[in-house]
Parts: sequence; structure tokens; C-alpha cells
Amino acid sequence: MWSAAYAFQRRSILDQDNQPMAIPPDANEKTEYYFARLRYPNFRGGPYNWQVRGGWTVDYPKADRHLMMGVRRLTRVHNRSMEQVVDLESDDIYNYPWLYAVETGHWDLPDHQAKKLRDYLLRGGFLMTDDFHGTFDWSIFTASMSRVFPDRPIVDIENKDPIFHTVFDLDERFQVPGIVMFITGTTYEYDGYQPKWRAIYDDRGRIMVAVCHNMDLGDAWEHSDHPDYPERYASLAYRIGVNYIIYSMTH
Amino acid sequence: MIEFLFKYPATVFSKGSFVLLGAWPVWVLILCIAAGAAALAYPAWKMRERSAGRARGLRLASLWLLQSGLLALVLLLLWQPAISIGSLKPQQNIVALLIDDSRSMALKEDGTTRKDQVAAALNSGLLDQLGSKFQVRMYRFSGGIDRMEKLEAVTAGGNATRIGDNLAQVAAESSTLPIGAMVLFSDGADNTGGVDLETIALLRRQRIPVHTVGVGREKFAKDIEIGDAVMAARTLPDSRLSAQITIRQQGFAGSKARLSVKAEGKTLATQEITLKPEGAQQTEIIVFNSGNEGVKNLQVSVDPLQGEENTGNNSVSRLLNVQNRKPRVLYIEGEPKWEFKFIRRAIEEDRTLQLATILRTTQNKIYRQGINSPNEMEQGFPAKVDELFGFQAIIVGGVEAGYFTAAQMELLKQFVDRRGGGLLFLAGRGGLSEGGWGKTGLAELMPVTLPDKKGTFHRDPAYVELTQAGKESLICRLEENPDKNAERWKKLPYLADYQESGIPKPGALVLVEALPSSKGRLPLLITQNYGRGRVAAMATQGTWRWQMLQPLEDKTHEMFWQQLMRWLVQDTPGRVVAMTPKPVLSDETKVLLRAEIRDRNFLPMTDAKVTANILGPQGVAEQVELAPDALAPGTFTGQWTAGKPGAYVAEILAKRGDEEAGRDVLNFRREDGVAENFGAAQNRELLEKLAEQTGGKYYNVKDLKKLPAEISYSEAGITVRETKDLWNMPIVFLLLLLLRSSEWLLRRRWGVV
Repeated sequence: MWSAAYAFQRRSILDQDNQPMAIPPDANEKTEYYFARLRYPNFRGGPYNWQVRGGWTVDYPKADRHLMMGVRRLTRVHNRSMEQVVDLESDDIYNYPWLYAVETGHWDLPDHQAKKLRDYLLRGGFLMTDDFHGTFDWSIFTASMSRVFPDRPIVDIENKDPIFHTVFDLDERFQVPGIVMFITGTTYEYDGYQPKWRAIYDDRGRIMVAVCHNMDLGDAWEHSDHPDYPERYASLAYRIGVNYIIYSMTH
Repeated sequence: MIEFLFKYPATVFSKGSFVLLGAWPVWVLILCIAAGAAALAYPAWKMRERSAGRARGLRLASLWLLQSGLLALVLLLLWQPAISIGSLKPQQNIVALLIDDSRSMALKEDGTTRKDQVAAALNSGLLDQLGSKFQVRMYRFSGGIDRMEKLEAVTAGGNATRIGDNLAQVAAESSTLPIGAMVLFSDGADNTGGVDLETIALLRRQRIPVHTVGVGREKFAKDIEIGDAVMAARTLPDSRLSAQITIRQQGFAGSKARLSVKAEGKTLATQEITLKPEGAQQTEIIVFNSGNEGVKNLQVSVDPLQGEENTGNNSVSRLLNVQNRKPRVLYIEGEPKWEFKFIRRAIEEDRTLQLATILRTTQNKIYRQGINSPNEMEQGFPAKVDELFGFQAIIVGGVEAGYFTAAQMELLKQFVDRRGGGLLFLAGRGGLSEGGWGKTGLAELMPVTLPDKKGTFHRDPAYVELTQAGKESLICRLEENPDKNAERWKKLPYLADYQESGIPKPGALVLVEALPSSKGRLPLLITQNYGRGRVAAMATQGTWRWQMLQPLEDKTHEMFWQQLMRWLVQDTPGRVVAMTPKPVLSDETKVLLRAEIRDRNFLPMTDAKVTANILGPQGVAEQVELAPDALAPGTFTGQWTAGKPGAYVAEILAKRGDEEAGRDVLNFRREDGVAENFGAAQNRELLEKLAEQTGGKYYNVKDLKKLPAEISYSEAGITVRETKDLWNMPIVFLLLLLLRSSEWLLRRRWGVV
């Protein structure tokens, strides 16, 4: 009986992935900052029926709301507790200078969306991409991103870049795994062995697109309250999230 | 006619003094007149009875007055009335003829130049008439004065007209020469603004009458003249500047003309204007970009119109020093916000501005950007005067007043008041009245009286509109055309938020109003001057939408913030500020140098040693020491003569002991051959006043026949006193007849015998 009760109280972390969440009471509060999650069209094609394995809703909405709770607690940012879903079909996206896109190894931006994203970023918007792994994801990601910025390279972010120092000094970084590690026993997925903090810069050396490749910060935010998810990974994921948000609001 | 009735010219009466030559004293005359009048009263009274009541009251009084008047006049003539007047002794006095030799005398009117009009007047007998009575000395004058023997020496080639200086010089000769009078032939187009009081006083002391002969038309039939062009003397590169141009015209009312600003032949701005009615002063404002750094000689001009008689006065030049001095702005923000990011971006695009920011990111952390060293402002907002006064402007974002110490608050106030810096308050959850700023000592310098309540910050949309002051302000100028500019503001995307800013103070300017859907119009951008500095309040933190919601090519957001920042820093002085009232010397040589020196705390430095190192054309290099001004502590002044035309640069260096207090650079330029084109119409008012104040008379060059006679009456030189009888003036006999005949006519009419 005890074990049954224990099992009820402590459900498997795998069962809790992408679970719905109650709408917080202050969900409609008008604030300065909104965690805008990008809704994008999925890549269709490729091996292994790729389109069904990930998409813009992954870790939604718990990851967003957990991070927002962290941002409220750790910073002075006036932010809403609930995320805001936006897409590149509407001009509403320009009201949200911060964008988070998950599983961008599965996105497939049509030309008109790529054009709008380019315009959004050049006007001063900021995009953080997360939770895509290995060579194949990368090729899918860059296929769309090259339509956004055909002439801008994706480069590794140096340690001295302000994005790693806005609030926390993040010189010591490591791979933040998703919950897949509870199945595979490794922190990497596919052939994404090394975490990569990359970016696309504008002409004045400011990051427009922060690319978190071979890591799963979204899972770390989402499951940071689960006892099985290691605190060190959750902690780094929060610190990266906070730094990136503050960077987007200062550069 | 007057001379016929009174026998003598009017000058005799205006200059002479009335005397009675009779042997008996005046009181006897008065007594006799009184006794005679009394004696006449009795027969007049009797007349009442004789006339059976026909003569009474006013009629009786009138008859008695006419009889008494006649008696008084006869008695006065018995006392021998006369005028005593001083007049020049023939052949013993000098009459100085001063003839204007400036370029304006070469202007042709009705086919004849002004100098030829003077020559014609003198050669038509005037010179001979004067020569028969006096020794005539002829001078030609413009900037200086020379004696000449023949009229042909007048060439009308002088670059300036200095009437006062030249009169003073001739008057100075009167200490050794018997100068009885001066006759000034001129159009009165003086370039120094008139004849100074000292010269007038000198002439009055020496009793030398200056007779003025006006030459030339009092106004041109067709002319456009730029009266003045007022603009900043120094600015930052790529700044939007405005010049206020004053224009007068004759003969072109309602015509279109083109106003332009050029620098080294390159047109910076043009504007079509409609000329106002004749003689009315017209003020136009033209906006242009200052361009790259360097000293620029700007030409402000109106293109000549067809038939214009004098085109030389269509253009004026002004010096503009575009300085690449990189003023620093400090922006402290209470919490991360999009406005912070986009303001930073806008200012970063301005290569002339430097922005340092302090952002409170967490409860205990700040994030600094744009700092000069890792230690700069490590502890947060500066608490030392030299650290804070190193900036030219400060932006206080949404930070509550309680964050600052009392000392920092006082520093902020002194930053504006004493240092002369620019201070901008922004809206936010901790900004303006939400941050308690209305209850601090800084409330005094704010351009608004903040509302005494909370809940003034609203995250609701608001559109914006320019006020009249905003339409005229360069801060809000997004388009060159003022109407298009106002329209563009109306079409801007709505602000993300707004704050109730309160009531604008008297003297403050509301440039932009917010139009939220539910609260009418609210002051959004308000500015005012305070002490030596400037303060503004911007009651929103939501202009970032102008950047995100408009096409990439649209530069509204950047332009607005850059212009607001430039307004904040532009006039923030350094520790040494050099200036001169006339950076362009039009046919002048005297340069007045002035420098304000402040110490590290921006208090007036009275014990400085201030020198001006001047470099000029053709190797001119001189050092001038400036002397402290007793009436203005910390101010030093000096005067120097720019001997050659061309561009000059003066570096003003201030030292206290061996320590350098600071330096500033001043540019000025001497231009010759310009001033004579302006005010070229005859300045009759000046000539009349000069004659009136010195005891002379104004004549027109075309009517000088009375001059030789009237010039004789003078108190200067070698004079004799003449007594001129008045009893035999025709007017006296006419008066006698009039009195007697009036009485006779009245008696007859009223039937009084």
C-alpha cells in the first residue's frame, strides 16, 4: 500500500512531460515582459517520420511558467506568469521582442515566415532556440535559418560575450540534458555529444539569435521541481534563461 | 514765407536768445502793461452803459483784451526787442565737409550714383558760397577718414561707414583749428549701429553743429534684405539645427522667394517663402543638418528676384563650429525594460554620443554598460561630484527616488543648476510620481508638478500628437516640412504605456501629448530650463513600439531619441567656455573675447590665469591675456584687433598655478566689403537725430540753398555776437493792424460806439 501511495505521489518524470497546467490567476496581468513561444510549421519528410517526434509545443506550458517564476524570483523583470504563443503569420509578433523556439530541429519556415523573422530580428527582436540535437537536427535548423539570414553565419559564442555575464557569470557551462537521459542514461541525444552555445550577430555585434544546440533547457525548466531531475542542470538552465532574457532587454 | 514775416531764418530764433535793448528794466514794462490794461478797463465798463446793454459779458472782455493787447505790443516795441546770436566770423573759421566714401555711395539712383549727387550739389555753387565765407576743408570718410583737396578723391570704395568715429576725429582737430561747423554728406548707412553717446557729448561740449546732408532714397523700390540670421555657434556633428532668419523687403509683397543655407558652396537646406507686405519684418525658420565636424562658414541667403536694386544684402554669413566632442550620457534604470534596450540602440547609432548605463537587474545586482573602466560606477550611481559632473546629461529611468541618497539627490540638482547639464526623467513603475519624485527636492526642477497619488502608470495604449511648441521644436522634427512632420507623429504606432505626468509648470513647454483612449490628452514630453541646465520629463516607457512596429527603414525611434539626447547635451558647458558676441566681423576689426572659467565643482574660478592664443591668416599668431570681470565672478574678458581679413582661431587656456583648468576653442572671421550692402537706404532718422543733438540741421542733397546762410550761426570756432532787431519784422506790423482792425470790426458788428 505504501508503495502504491508513493507511486501515486511521485509519478515518473517521463509521465509528467508536456503535461497541461492550470491557468494561473494572474494570467492576464499587463506586464513589461512576456515569454513568447514561437509556433512554427513542422518539417515534413526525412527519415524516421521526423515530423511526429517534436514540435513547437514541447515542454509547453510548464517549462515557460517555471522559468517565469524563476525570473520573478531572481530578477527585477516585471513579467507575466503565463506564456504567450505567437507565430510568424501575424504582425502581433512585433509586440513581443523576445521569442523562444523549442525543437527547432523540426521547424520548417516557409519563405514569407523566414522573411518576417528576419525583419523582426533586425528591428530589434531576439530569438532563443533550444532542445535540438545532433547533426540531422542541425541540418533541419540551418535549412530554415539560412532562409532567414542567408548571409549571416552561426558562430560559437565566446565566454567573454556579455550574454554569459548579464546577471550570472556563466564561464563554467556543461550539457543540460533532457529527460531522455532517464531512458538512455546519457546527457546527449543522437550524435550531439557536445553542448554548443551559438549565435547569429547583427552588424553591431549584438546577438539576434541565441542557438542552444545539443542541450534541453526546456526540460530542465519544466522538471526543475521534480526530485529526480538533478539540481545542477536545472540551476544552469535557469541561469542561462535569466541571462538570455536580460541580454535581450539590454542589447 | 516764414522768413518774409519774421525777417530772419528759423535758425536765428532756435539758436539765438531773446533780449530787450531798452534802457528801462523789464519790471517797468510789466508795470506799464498792467497799469495800461487797468486804465482801459474803466472806459470799457462805461461802454456797457453807452451801448444800452449790447456790450456786456464776453463781448466787453474781448474788446478790452484787444485794446490791452495792442497797448502791450506798442509798449514792448518801445523796449526794443531783439535776438542775440553768435555767428561765425567771415574768413576766420573752418567749415569741415565730411563726404561719405563708402561703397553704398556708389549705388545708382535715377541714373546717378550717390557720390555724384554730392559732387553735383557742391559744384553747383555751394562750394563757392561756402568758400566765400569760410575756409573749407574737405574730408572723405568710410572706415577711416582722410583729408582731400578735390572732390574727385571720393571713389565710393570704402568697406564700412563709421560716422561716429570719424566725427570724433575731426572734432579732436578743433582743439587746434577754428572749426565752426561740420557738414556731413552721407546716406547714414552706418555699420556700427549709430553714433555713440560719447561722440555726441564731445561735439556738444565743443559746440560744433553738425549739419547733415542726406543722400539717397529712404527706401528702395525693389529690394530684399536679410536683417539677421540667428543660430547656434557650435553644435555636434550631424545635428539638426535651425536658423531664425529676419527678412525685410520692398516691392515684392506676396512674391515667392527661395531661402537657402549653404556651406562651402554645398546647399544644406532650401525653403520656399512668401514675402510679406512692404517694410514688415518677416521671420522664417529654416532647418538644416550640421554635417561633419569642422568650422563652417554658412551662407544664409535669399535668391535675388528680378528687378532687385541691391542684391548684395540678400546674403549673410555665420560661423558654425561643428565639434566632435563626444558628450557622455548616464542612464540609470530601475528594472529591465524594452525601452532601455531600444534607447541604448538608438543612441549607439549616434556616433557623437556616448552612453553609459546602470541597470538594476536583481534586488542586489546592477549591470553596467558603456563604462570607461571596470571600476567606473562599480558601487552604482555616482556619489562624487567629479564623477557625476563628467557627464553632460543624465537619464533617470523608472527608479524610485528613495534609491538615491540625500547627497546624490543634491548632486543631481546641482548637476542641472550649477553644472548646466541636461536631466531627463522617464516613466515607469518606479518613475515620476510612482517613484515618489514629487516629494523630493528635485520636484522643484521638474517641468511638471507631479500628481500627488499612486497608480499613475498605465500599461495601456496611447497615441501621440505634437503640440504647437512640439511642431516648432527640433527635438520632435522627423520631417523637414512642419506639416508633414505633425502628420507623421499622428500616424505613429501607439505607445505601449503612458504615465500621468501632472500639470506643466509655468515656463515649461509641452512638446508632445499622449492620447490614451480614456483620459483625454496628457502631457507626454515636457521640457524646461532650470538654472544653467535643462530638464525634461518623458511620461512613457513604451516608445520602443515605434521601432518594432514600423518598417526596418523607418528611423523615427532613433531620430527622436538622438534629437532628445542632443538637446540634453548640446548646451552643457565645459569648465572653460569661450565666446565672442560677433563671430563674423563684417568690416570690423575689434574682437571681444570672453571666457567663463569654472573649477572642478563648477563654481566660478576667480583666481585663474586666462590667455587666448590666436592664430590667423598669413601667419598671424598672438597671445592675449584676458582680465577678470569685476561684475561677473569667473568671467574673463579681453579685446583684440583682427588686422587682416580671414579666418581666426583662438584657443582659450585657463590655468590655476601650474594646473590647467581647461581650454576651449573659439573661431571668428573677419570679412571685408560686406557691411556696406546692408541698410543701404538713406538712414534719415540717424542723420536728423545727429543734426538735432549737435545743434545742426538736416538737409536733403537736392535742397541745399539755405545751407550757406544757416551754417553761419554757430557757437564754435571764432564767433561774434550779433544783435538783430525785431521791431521791424513785418509780422509785428501785421499784428498791430490785426488787433486794431479786429476791435473795429467787432464794435461795428455789435453796434458799440
